[in-house]
Amino acid sequence: MSADPGVIGTNDDASSCKRFAVDKGYWSDPYISLFMQKLPSRKAPEISRGYYARVTSIQIIIEKFLQMTQNNCQIVSFGAGFDTLYWRLFDKGLTPKKFVEVDFEQVTTRKCHFIKSKKQLLDALTCEETDIMISKNELHSAKYHLVCANIANTAQLESKLTASGIDRSLPTLFLSECVLVYVDVEGSNKLLKWISDNFPTALFLNYEQINMTDAFGQVMIENLKARDCVLSGAAACANVNTQMDRFLNNGWSGADCLDMSTVYKCLPQSDLQRIERIEMLDERELLDQLLYHYCLAWAYKDTADLGLHTISIS
Amino acid sequence: MSDMSDLDRQIEQLQRCEVIKESEVKALCAKAREILVEEGNVQAVDAPVTVCGDIHGQFYDLKELFKVGGKVPETNYLFMGDFVDRGFYSVETFLLLLALKVRYPDRITLIRGNHESRQITQVYGFYDECLRKYGSITVWRYCTEIFDYLSLSAIVDGKIFCVHGGLSPSITSLDQIRQIDRKQEVPHDGPMCDLLWSDPEDMQGWGVSPRGAGYLFGSDVVNTFCQENEVDLICRAHQLVMEGYKWHFGEMVLTVWSAPNYCYRCGNVAAILELDENLKRDFTIFEAAPQESRGIPSKKPQPDYFL
Repeated sequence: MSADPGVIGTNDDASSCKRFAVDKGYWSDPYISLFMQKLPSRKAPEISRGYYARVTSIQIIIEKFLQMTQNNCQIVSFGAGFDTLYWRLFDKGLTPKKFVEVDFEQVTTRKCHFIKSKKQLLDALTCEETDIMISKNELHSAKYHLVCANIANTAQLESKLTASGIDRSLPTLFLSECVLVYVDVEGSNKLLKWISDNFPTALFLNYEQINMTDAFGQVMIENLKARDCVLSGAAACANVNTQMDRFLNNGWSGADCLDMSTVYKCLPQSDLQRIERIEMLDERELLDQLLYHYCLAWAYKDTADLGLHTISIS
Repeated sequence: MSDMSDLDRQIEQLQRCEVIKESEVKALCAKAREILVEEGNVQAVDAPVTVCGDIHGQFYDLKELFKVGGKVPETNYLFMGDFVDRGFYSVETFLLLLALKVRYPDRITLIRGNHESRQITQVYGFYDECLRKYGSITVWRYCTEIFDYLSLSAIVDGKIFCVHGGLSPSITSLDQIRQIDRKQEVPHDGPMCDLLWSDPEDMQGWGVSPRGAGYLFGSDVVNTFCQENEVDLICRAHQLVMEGYKWHFGEMVLTVWSAPNYCYRCGNVAAILELDENLKRDFTIFEAAPQESRGIPSKKPQPDYFL
């Protein structure tokens, strides 16, 4: 994966959609507007509901992992963009020992700038014993670290994680949302293998495309190519099995994968009812079709015997 | 005479996907209102006619439809609503259809869809598009006022009942539809709302619609309605079908969908239903207009995904 402007631009698109949904009240995130200050243009309700399902389901699994490890763990977020997860966890008193975000330099530079200039963001990083070190494109604090690296370059990634003080013996959750799909399958396999070789207790949480071989999937590949986003890793997004096999063939001991329409139905019912009342959805099929083409996959290696195989969405 | 040549020029302009002036929209809507106000809630249409489903502002795909179905006035058309929202050219699409209606009132029938509504267009794009293209909401106001005058349904040769959504538990006869005072915003419930929002479903009787408006109606409901009103077929639009058209309950209800690759995302084909003078049915399937025929928009609009 090279630092394509098209791929980098997906962060702005996702952040803008998240801000729109947050402004509408789909979920609460006091921080997204600090990173995405421009008022977003209107998004269709199925887009807001889809982002709601993504943010909510990922949060559920991450909180289970934090609970299982009693926060004695680390989180590494690949292609984090303007994700606000660290700050949202901080507000809940749920911060892990290390939280490392990795992205392209063009993105980390902007994120550094926003963090530097916003007290609300800085406050969550401040700690009496450790100074915050901010360069133009990287940031290191006691727990939170923001580094630039190309995740397809494991040597570079390794040195950045080491510089952030990552302890390979601690249980570590790796998160990627619509990231691996931009890396060719050889590159993402190398990354997954490197993690399973180096982290004896790990959970990988991957949100991205699935069922890409049908007409909808082909149209998506063409549409994204037209905006310079090439889905180089789409071969691993053919179905549930290709999403799980990429882990099982690269040293992980177990994997699971659900398409997002299944995930959606597993989300807490009372909150689903609440968000479905925010805006009327004229055509349910449009949401179903989108959800069916995204998935949440997770894989684990559980040397510490934490019970990672029991993690599920419901 | 100068009126007609003005109108022809506006049609030409709209056919190039160029908007007409705000003052021209005002005049066009005034003329359209004079024509539409005379139409019934169940507008009688003579075969042969080509029946079309949702268009949703997909202007270049509407041009594709005219390419495969023939031009107005050579072909007689019935459009079953949802001209606007979701696509990138709702303004050009609706104004072109409206201008054709004013120019050839007997060769094109437009009935109302659930998106021809003030409330819905504020969520799904037409409102924002008017504001973006004209710098004010005046044109949106003119257009939504005209929506209130659109007929609610049509009947082809007394035998094929055409409506955007479907049936209503408060309606058993066509005469009951004729009694509705339609010149209003689409209500949140009641017969007028149901006609524009309901869907057929494999069930008996009536069910709650997941759309939050209208009802699900079963085969027994359709049987009774068709018998009572001596109708052979209910033709409707409203639901995306990947193959362009779909039969329900044997051949009692038909869904026609005319927006190919809906939302520039869905990967579906579209269909139109051609009824000859004997009401013999013939479907024409068509695909989205090729990219090169879409011209070069100044800013390329993009379909939404999760990125």
